[in-house]
Amino acid sequence: MKRAGIVALNTFREAVRDRVLYNLVFFALVMMVAAILVGQISMGIEDEVIVSLGLSAISIIGLLIAVFIGVGLVSKEMDKRTLYALLAKPLRRWEFLAGKFAGLVLTLTVNTAAMAAGLFLALYYVKHSLERTDAVVLVAVYFILLKLALVVALAMLFSCFTSPLLAILFTGGLYVAGLFVHEMRGVGSALISPALAAILQGISYLLPNFENFDVMGAAAHGRSVAGALIAQNTAYAALYSLIVLSVASAIFSQRNLR
Amino acid sequence: MTFKSYVALLVLVPLGFAGVWDLQKHIDASQSRAEVEDDQVILRSGKLVKAMSLEYAPLMADIYWTRVVQYFGNKHAGKQVDLRLLWPLLDLTTVLDPQLIPAYHFGSTFLSDAPPRGAGRPDLAVQLIERGIQANPDQWRLYYDLGFVYYFDMKDYPKASNAFYEGSKNPNALIWMKVMAAKIAAEGNSTETSVFLWRDVYNNTKDPEIKENALTHLQLLRSEEDCRQLDALGDQYEKQFGRRPERISDLVQAGLLRGAPVDPVGYPYTLSEEGKAQLNLDSPLLEKQVMVQPRK
Repeated sequence: MKRAGIVALNTFREAVRDRVLYNLVFFALVMMVAAILVGQISMGIEDEVIVSLGLSAISIIGLLIAVFIGVGLVSKEMDKRTLYALLAKPLRRWEFLAGKFAGLVLTLTVNTAAMAAGLFLALYYVKHSLERTDAVVLVAVYFILLKLALVVALAMLFSCFTSPLLAILFTGGLYVAGLFVHEMRGVGSALISPALAAILQGISYLLPNFENFDVMGAAAHGRSVAGALIAQNTAYAALYSLIVLSVASAIFSQRNLR
Repeated sequence: MTFKSYVALLVLVPLGFAGVWDLQKHIDASQSRAEVEDDQVILRSGKLVKAMSLEYAPLMADIYWTRVVQYFGNKHAGKQVDLRLLWPLLDLTTVLDPQLIPAYHFGSTFLSDAPPRGAGRPDLAVQLIERGIQANPDQWRLYYDLGFVYYFDMKDYPKASNAFYEGSKNPNALIWMKVMAAKIAAEGNSTETSVFLWRDVYNNTKDPEIKENALTHLQLLRSEEDCRQLDALGDQYEKQFGRRPERISDLVQAGLLRGAPVDPVGYPYTLSEEGKAQLNLDSPLLEKQVMVQPRK
């Protein structure tokens, strides 16, 4: 695990060197403009719009980083041929993957934490105070982070056996499908055959359910999120990521790198 | 790059932008000539827009709500009475985020107010608030909004009373909700109730336009009450002297009034040719009375 940790740390350093965290400037600008403008162009939703906009920006920026950098984690090392030098060292392939995953999740954590701080600053600017109910925004940010970790795992899985472009498409497709799991379960047998409905039902439980992590509405309106849901979502993201990374490791281990 | 190239660039880039600026002005002028106001809500299915918004439906709802405010504000500023897109926009907003309380609260006012202030559709306002109550049963203020529309715009006092009563069942509701329910059930329309409701709007809104509107209604209600009382004194004067008073000063000279009373903005009341009390022709309230047609 120590070797995976070294890979993780280097992945984080590489991301910082590649100026990935520069997106924070863009985020800060968006939040500043929103905080100043919202009271003048809308009515009664000053707090809501700051939270919705902030969380949406955290989610979108995080997703872009997770997908595009996640897909490149393995393929870039192969293209640059640096992977061969790494694997020549006493480093197992799964350790390499685990390290890359942890490194990008660490990058995303730092990035998300900085954006969350910006979001709270903007909220403070608009409300002139912070309340206990605002803590739910932190839960929403944590759920976004869980979602991003899962997306990184999926991006890495696809990048292990296909081209970067296809890996981006597969990850994006699976992400969108994972947002419609509820609808998939709701398709009644009146519209489709019972067999197909049963298949859809089964698939809906196997797909990564990204709807689980969507508490943006609750956060915007200051509604609390149950502690059990936080624990369940944490376990869900950890277990699902573990499964995906295990499959990715299996594929990557079998891959002929010559 | 050589020094000459830098200088050329420094000259050419501003010149280029000046050209773009000028060209854009010409394009704007051409477009405004051809432009017929074209407000559109292309996607009207809330479910479809929600599905397309992925997990960002709350943000989309905020954007649609801002569009409602801008649409209403622009129409209002332009003194246009055609507000046919108000309902589709509010419908989309509340489907995207059923918990967005300001959309129900302010949206119902935009819908129910009579033209030119609003869309003159209290039926849609009721529909909107009922949707809000279904999605947010713990929000007693929505029952208040419902009662407000039934009371002022639909003059349906049993339903208004019922709305206040239903809202009063919420443990967080203020005590006067029950009082309002009983008062409206017993008396129907009364100036006292109207003043109470408008005062509550005035005290609880941060929006300057809504505050101003509430203040206008309060002032008009007070002036109407003043006129009623002056007319009662006029009746008394008629009994005493066998003729209607011609001026307010007649009432003062007869000892019925201590001095000439003024309206809420400080202008003395006058009497019409029939001897009925009315607002002074110079009073700014007179114009408001014509414009607003007070909801009472």
